[in-house]
Amino acid sequence: MSGEKRRWIIFAALFAVAIISYILPIQIESRPSPEVQKSYDYIENLPDSSVMMISFDHEASSLPEIQPISLAILRHLFRKNLRIIGLSLFAEGTAIGYEMLNRTARQYGKIYGRDYVFLGFKPQHISAILGMGESIRRVFPEDYFGNETDTLAVMQGVDNYDKVAMVISIADGDRAVQWIEYAGARYNQKIMAGLTAAMITTYDPYLGSGQLYSVVGGLKGAAEYEKLSGHLGAGNRGMWAQTTSHIFIIVMIIIGNIVYFRSKSSQKGRG
Amino acid sequence: MDIGIIIAGLLTLAIYSFLYRDNPVYKAAESLLIGLSIGYALVIFWQTTLVDRLFRPLFNEGDLILIIPLLLGLMMFSRFSQKLTWLSRLPIALMIGAGAGVSIPAMLYARTLKQISASVAPLYTASGGFDFSALVIILGLLSTLAYFYFSRRHEGAMGKMAKAGTYFLMIFFGATFGYTVMSRLSTLIGRIDFLLTDFLHVLR
Repeated sequence: MSGEKRRWIIFAALFAVAIISYILPIQIESRPSPEVQKSYDYIENLPDSSVMMISFDHEASSLPEIQPISLAILRHLFRKNLRIIGLSLFAEGTAIGYEMLNRTARQYGKIYGRDYVFLGFKPQHISAILGMGESIRRVFPEDYFGNETDTLAVMQGVDNYDKVAMVISIADGDRAVQWIEYAGARYNQKIMAGLTAAMITTYDPYLGSGQLYSVVGGLKGAAEYEKLSGHLGAGNRGMWAQTTSHIFIIVMIIIGNIVYFRSKSSQKGRG
Repeated sequence: MDIGIIIAGLLTLAIYSFLYRDNPVYKAAESLLIGLSIGYALVIFWQTTLVDRLFRPLFNEGDLILIIPLLLGLMMFSRFSQKLTWLSRLPIALMIGAGAGVSIPAMLYARTLKQISASVAPLYTASGGFDFSALVIILGLLSTLAYFYFSRRHEGAMGKMAKAGTYFLMIFFGATFGYTVMSRLSTLIGRIDFLLTDFLHVLR
């Protein structure tokens, strides 16, 4: 069988495993990791009306993985009656971020301008992060819709990071690193990251050094967060499919290695 | 059904058709993704940078100081002329200078000093217990540094350290690759959720 045909069969089998597992009504228990627990506990213990800043620093292509994380965290923030300042330091995250923020706010009956605001996108992310440490109004004189930031009730008393309990960067790249390096290091701002699984190892050193407070990583992180907040969503729905797909890939790796070593030893025998 | 969902569903299938083989439907969907992403980013940049931060304050509110960044921005376009290309060096020099000035202290602190202090954690905890993780970090750090130290031959003790460094690197690459596979599968599962729930209505 040709390599291309074999590859096609493996992809089709993986797709079938994922799709069948997703359809089956099987839920697996998600045991929260210490990092997700830490993220949840911090938000859970915040007093009412504390200010949280959430930055949607990702592209549209990572939405299937990012969305469950964002929604799980946003639901928790709104349930806790916290004041939310949304923004984006990645152009593509702007409309997506606003849509997720607005959709979740509606579910909890929150009012724009009073309970939450979306400041929109700001280019030159490093100057934006540093600038907000001095004055959020100066960086964002207007919100996403052109309302003057000063006139919004949610922004009252919030001049810079001093009144922001935590910045959450929802990222599929290294944008959260800039939050750590500039808002965290210079202004001592607490940073949490919601990350795609592919980025977790990049952030591990920051987590180990305490520069990053906590991480909610990948679909698994979303499932754990949903479990803690008692609102099961896309993260938990996908866990069984993810588990079976991983098992399938592990089996394929083992079979591939057996075939490789057998063909190598038979070549040696012939040679 | 919402027309947006139909288009999104068909484009998802078009992109996944690449798993069979490269084909014109995939190529069209890929080009559309790239074109839309660039177009969307351009519109956002035009509005948030040029209109909101430059044109409106300069022409409507008379903030004349903005003439300086406007001129510097225009000087960047001098790169298209062989005679005037030297003009672009000024805004580039300003950007590099300011960028380095802002980044170097922050990176030195966050990426170097803080990381070094986190890497030399004590081997014994406050309660007197042995911290195995701290030992792994120190061994990993020293052996990986040994691997990237090229001023001495990798022989004897140095060679063994460098060899151990390669194992630590392999473990890191393996973990990163595993997480990447996990990430891609999450994306696939997200699209399966969309296809079965919103597009095909197989699941509720």
